[in-house]
Amino acid sequence: MLADSGGGGAIVPFSGDPNHAAPPPPPVRPIRHGVAPPISRVFVSWSSGNLLQVACLSGGRGAEEVAGSVVEVNLAVANGSAEVEQEIDEAEMRRIEYGSVPAFALLQSRRNALADAAAMQHMHSVSERAEWWQYVLQYSKTIGKLLGSPDSLPGLMIEDPRAILKVRERPTSLKAAWELLEIFYVDKNLHSWLPERLVDWLADYDSLLTKTDGTVYCKLSDFQKKLINLQVVENDPDYWNGLSAALSVGWLDVVVNMLRFHGSYQLDQMDNRETENGLVEAVAVLVSTMPRMRPDLPTGKLGQCCTSRPDFIKAWEKWRGQVSKLECSAFWIQCGHQKTRDGLKNLLHIMMGNIKDLTAATSHWLELFASHFLYIRPFTVGFEGMHHLAQKCIQLKPSFGNSGLTGLLNGILSENPEVVLAECTKKFGPWMVTHSMELLAADNEYADIMLHEERPNFGGLSIEELHRLVYAQVLSSHSLTWQIAPTYLSSCLNQGLGLLEILLLKQPIQDNRQVLKTLELCRLYELENVSTNIMKIAGIYHWKHGRKGTGVYWFQQAHDKVRLDRIAQQLFERIGKSVADDNFKQWEGLVELLGSDIGSAGGLEFLHRYRDFKRSLQQALEGRTGEAARQTVEFLIQLMRNPSTPQRFWLPLLHDSVRLLNCKPCPLLNVAETTLLLNKLQELSMAKLRPDFCTNHLPSHALSSVRLALASNLARAILEEP
Amino acid sequence: MADRQVAQLGPGTACCGWNHCGRRLAAGAIDGTVSVYDSQPSPSSRWQAHEHAIVNVVWLPPDYGDAIACVCADGTLSLWEEVAEDDQLPSWRKCKVFEGGNSHILSVQFGLLLSSLKMVTAYSDGQVKVYELLDSLELDKWQLQAELQNITDPVSRNGKPACISASIAWSPRRGESQQASFAVGFNSDSPHFNSCKIWEFEEAHQRWLPLIELGSVEDKGDRVHAVAWAPNIGRPYEIIAVATSKGIAVWHVGFNPESECRLSTESVAVLPGHNGEVWQLEWDMGGMTLASTGSDGMVKLWQANLNGVWHEQAVLDCNGSHD
Repeated sequence: MLADSGGGGAIVPFSGDPNHAAPPPPPVRPIRHGVAPPISRVFVSWSSGNLLQVACLSGGRGAEEVAGSVVEVNLAVANGSAEVEQEIDEAEMRRIEYGSVPAFALLQSRRNALADAAAMQHMHSVSERAEWWQYVLQYSKTIGKLLGSPDSLPGLMIEDPRAILKVRERPTSLKAAWELLEIFYVDKNLHSWLPERLVDWLADYDSLLTKTDGTVYCKLSDFQKKLINLQVVENDPDYWNGLSAALSVGWLDVVVNMLRFHGSYQLDQMDNRETENGLVEAVAVLVSTMPRMRPDLPTGKLGQCCTSRPDFIKAWEKWRGQVSKLECSAFWIQCGHQKTRDGLKNLLHIMMGNIKDLTAATSHWLELFASHFLYIRPFTVGFEGMHHLAQKCIQLKPSFGNSGLTGLLNGILSENPEVVLAECTKKFGPWMVTHSMELLAADNEYADIMLHEERPNFGGLSIEELHRLVYAQVLSSHSLTWQIAPTYLSSCLNQGLGLLEILLLKQPIQDNRQVLKTLELCRLYELENVSTNIMKIAGIYHWKHGRKGTGVYWFQQAHDKVRLDRIAQQLFERIGKSVADDNFKQWEGLVELLGSDIGSAGGLEFLHRYRDFKRSLQQALEGRTGEAARQTVEFLIQLMRNPSTPQRFWLPLLHDSVRLLNCKPCPLLNVAETTLLLNKLQELSMAKLRPDFCTNHLPSHALSSVRLALASNLARAILEEP
Repeated sequence: MADRQVAQLGPGTACCGWNHCGRRLAAGAIDGTVSVYDSQPSPSSRWQAHEHAIVNVVWLPPDYGDAIACVCADGTLSLWEEVAEDDQLPSWRKCKVFEGGNSHILSVQFGLLLSSLKMVTAYSDGQVKVYELLDSLELDKWQLQAELQNITDPVSRNGKPACISASIAWSPRRGESQQASFAVGFNSDSPHFNSCKIWEFEEAHQRWLPLIELGSVEDKGDRVHAVAWAPNIGRPYEIIAVATSKGIAVWHVGFNPESECRLSTESVAVLPGHNGEVWQLEWDMGGMTLASTGSDGMVKLWQANLNGVWHEQAVLDCNGSHD
């Protein structure tokens, strides 16, 4: 399953589009394979995740060296989410992917714990819900921190007093989008001062709003470049434009800082500019004391912080009164510098909420939107009328080169989680969608239902599960990230484990470390069947590639009785062919490995007895002790009595013992034992006549030499019998 | 860019097949040689497998080692496995050759069930044979389990069709308790043999039975060019894609042991396919995206959305210039 592409149809269609008009044909992506056309044949194969192997074979019968080429295409890449890819490189994205796993896993386990608790108490309590959004907020903060750029500038640096825009860290759209979702969907504490949060957000991410149209940020950074060469700033219209722009979006610290660049502050003045300076300073004071309805103000931010609504209304009316008073002041007549007078008056008009001036001062509709909350509708609470206002601002300032952020905000303001989800998919990629769904559903019942409803037309998948599967496939497409895919797959109740099984079975088994890693994952997710299969696959691989010991080890781990029995059988065959001593060591090791714990494997039991017999025989022939000789014949009798000893081994066993039987002066076997062996020999002679008799490459006189040895043993045994 | 060249195939390459994890590739050539590539541009092994052109290479399931089956233009089929002794470099060994007899072997596919390996071969006279591997360690002992004709109606048994190609797809389920089943369709002059049918092994009578035919009344006899059975990671129904000259049909097949009508089939989409014949169909590991290749030199990817509507998701053009 691929992530949505920009052009093709979407997996999750907008529910607002009931007709589902045929999607436009997807863009055609050329494959660079280096084979001369014409192409006679194309073969494809999926490997892990979204990797597609494409083999193109040349149709020409020429004598070219290369007649075909195999290209691996990663369909997850260059498939939407272009905005994210431009900003964040592969390694950085991987850092985010790995970093978000613990937070995601913790949230899932908390969800399960809450669900278990609710099931125990047979109720869905309100407090449970209340607890939940705090967990999500914690999760959101953790992820938000992760999205901060690690290459941010160190805090201890000498600040240039003429620097207008303080550089903190490189803002990314991903972080901007994440914060936007957090503001609107998770943080309940913020609802009473939502507009201020939006203003703060804009201060951080204004530069990302558009690449083609202007923004306040652009204006200021352009002016910053110009500033070095400016002698008298107040004569430059861009100075005043920058000031009004910064003020319109509430960047009070920037405005006050810039006002201090004004020439009237300079001490070595030739002309009399006290009044002018007084007016500049008066505006600066008004700007820095603007009342703001918010719980706190971070250091460096200006304004008068009001935590309660009545305080704010009171402070606001007082402040507005001061602004109006200054606007009507008589001092303006004494201000000789025309541009200063006009510029300052413009700032006052902005503070008084003059729509015309605000519209002129802002560049992007979102800036105009924010300025409305600051100066025209300062008492707005929560969502109230936001969508309508946004539409009005868009009409006033239509924008063409929109980024994903504005689309996202549109979706949020229109209270349409489907649009939000679609924008996330299209612009920010599968990581964002998978992780942001938690935010969407934190406190929004509609989104919760939309995300979790099972779709019968799609095999019973829910949207949430689908997106997690898509993301897991993206992770599976890379050898460095596939290991974290199981976390997401295991959070999918319907089909996640099915995909996890396939993913684990697709991992290569040539490398033992890799196998151990895969098996550890199997253990973690209790996939015993899968681990058994993997062990069997590893076993056969090593067995076939000359590492018999490793092969047997894996077969044993997998409790693969069929194959172990078969291996034991192969060993018999080898033993049956030749019992030469140089061979003994080799198969003795294998028998050792096969172990004795597999009781049902009859062949193995035989092999173990046979090994004991051979060891003992060697010792006896080396002439160490008479005890060894006695022990050997005991093993021989046991073997011959045991029904699990294959008939074709009877003769080799007896033949092996001939030297032993012959070399001892006193008989090793008593009459009964010898008779048993002679009977077996007789049985063997009869069997030899049957067509299915298995010959065992012993010399033709083997049978008669065994018979002779047994006969002489019998004779001696009879004589010794008491 | 996201494309990475992984191998260069030698002259005369006619077909290729990947192993289960997609990291090994076997390519058959018109001179009867086979080359195996291991994530290196040049082959790790190359040997003469047949006297005539190789038309199809298929890997066996990894549970039986690294092994391939080669279908030769002369109608025979050979099985090869990679083996090594101690520290020596691995080499490929011939395990078994299947003769076509009076007809040609057209196609082969392997299925795993109840820890035994099954092989289905399709012949140019419309025969289908099912073999079972007798030895779990060696690939040389096979037993013929069944001989079938891809028809549901015994009346149509008369006469032998002339088949150009056959498409076989095993049910990809690995479960121990699952029923064995596969789908097979022919490209022949006989409409009865053509239509794709699902065969299932009936334990009670130890025989293969045609369960169901995938085809609407008017399309039943269409020549089948490719069949692919999607992996099922938890859907209540199976998805099978069948390519004919009319396009690619996507079928939902429900196996409900409880209900009276045990099987239900529904053609949920007929995708336009390719401009020309469809060569190959391949499902991704989740069974949600279908890749198709065709004589127009395109690779197309198909997906359903949440409403179950199938659409073309992406197109890869392989007719590109020589760069």
